[in-house]
Amino acid sequence: MTNLNNDHQNNLVSFLRHNKPIPPNPHPNLEQQLFDSLEPRKNSRKRYFKASWIIPHGTNPIRGQVPKWMQVLRAYSRISLPVKLISTGFLFTFVSFGLKTPQIALEPKDLENFLVRNWQNTLDNNHYTATEETEAYWLLPVISEPQPTLSISAQ
Amino acid sequence: MGKILACEQASAVDAESETGAPTEQELIWFCQQGDRACFRLLYQRYQQRVRSTLYQLCGSASLDDLVQEVFLKAWKGLPQLKTAKYFSTWLYRISWNVATDQRRKLARGQEKTSLNEKYWEKEQLSLGKLVNAQDTPDLMHLHYQDIVHRGLNNLSFDHRAVLVLHDLEDLPQKQVAEILNVPVGTVKSRLFHARNSLKKFLEQQGISL
Repeated sequence: MTNLNNDHQNNLVSFLRHNKPIPPNPHPNLEQQLFDSLEPRKNSRKRYFKASWIIPHGTNPIRGQVPKWMQVLRAYSRISLPVKLISTGFLFTFVSFGLKTPQIALEPKDLENFLVRNWQNTLDNNHYTATEETEAYWLLPVISEPQPTLSISAQ
Repeated sequence: MGKILACEQASAVDAESETGAPTEQELIWFCQQGDRACFRLLYQRYQQRVRSTLYQLCGSASLDDLVQEVFLKAWKGLPQLKTAKYFSTWLYRISWNVATDQRRKLARGQEKTSLNEKYWEKEQLSLGKLVNAQDTPDLMHLHYQDIVHRGLNNLSFDHRAVLVLHDLEDLPQKQVAEILNVPVGTVKSRLFHARNSLKKFLEQQGISL
C-alpha cells in the first residue's frame, strides 16, 4: 500500500515537473531598469576605505592568506555602530578610572603623607602650615610644655 | 566572528570552479561591498528561479514588477546577510514575502482580481477548444501546463507554496521549512494535503496518475 502510494506520488511529481507552467518572457528592458533603479549604498565608500586599509594591495580578499590580526581588525570593522560605541565607552571609562584613582600607598610612611595631604584642607590652614613636611607631627599626642608654676613664697 | 569569516573564505576557496568563474560566495562578498557588476551576475544566475516561483505563486499579472521588487530588496538587504551559503534560501524567502504581499494587495482589490480571473477563464476556454481541435503533442503539453497552473491556483496559498518549492523547484523539505519559517513536520503535512488536492483536481480534469 505504501509502495503504491509512493508510486502515485512519484507519478504526480514527475507529471508536475514535466508539465511545469513556464512563466512568460521578461520585458527586454527589465534587467536594465532594475540596475538603473538600484540605490547606491550609503556606506559603500566607507566600506571601500576600510577594505583598502585592512586588506593588503594585490591580495584577493577571499583567496589570499590573511594574518590573524587582520582578521580581527576585519571582524571589528564588521561590528555594528552601537556595539562599537558601547565598547569604546567602556574602554574609555576603564582607562580614565584607572588614571584618576589614587595609587594605594604601600608604605606606612606614604600612607601617613597621603592622610596628611588629604586631611589638610578640611582643617584650619593656619594651624598646619608648618606641618607640610613629611613628618606627621599632628598625629603625635600633644604634650603640653611645662609652664612655670606660680609660687608664692612666704618670704 | 573572525573564525566564521575564515571558514567562509576557506569554503569559498574550496568551492572555486575549475573554469575560474567567481564562486557564489565571492560574488556575494563583492555585492556586499557594493559591486553592481557582481550583482548582475547573481541576478542572471537566479532570476529564472525567482521568476518561476513567483509565477507559480502569483500568476503572470505584474510578474516583472515582482521580480524587480525581489532583487531590489536583495540588493538593499545584502549587507545584512551574515552567511553567504544561505543566499539561496534567503532569496527564496524574499520571493515568498513579496508573493505574500502581492496576494494581500490582490485580496484588497477583489473586483480587479475577479475580472482577471474571468479573462483567464476565457483564455483557458479558447485554449481548450484549440487543444481539442488539434491534438498535436506540443499543444497537449501546453494543455497539461495549463491544467497544472489551474490546479495550483486551486490550492490554498500555503499548500501551493510548499508544493511549488518542493516539487517544482526541487528544494529539500528542510530548506522549504526555513524559507516559510515553519517546522519540517508542517511542511510534510502541507505537502501531503497539497498533493492529494492536486491529484483530485487532475482526476476531475480527466488525468489519472
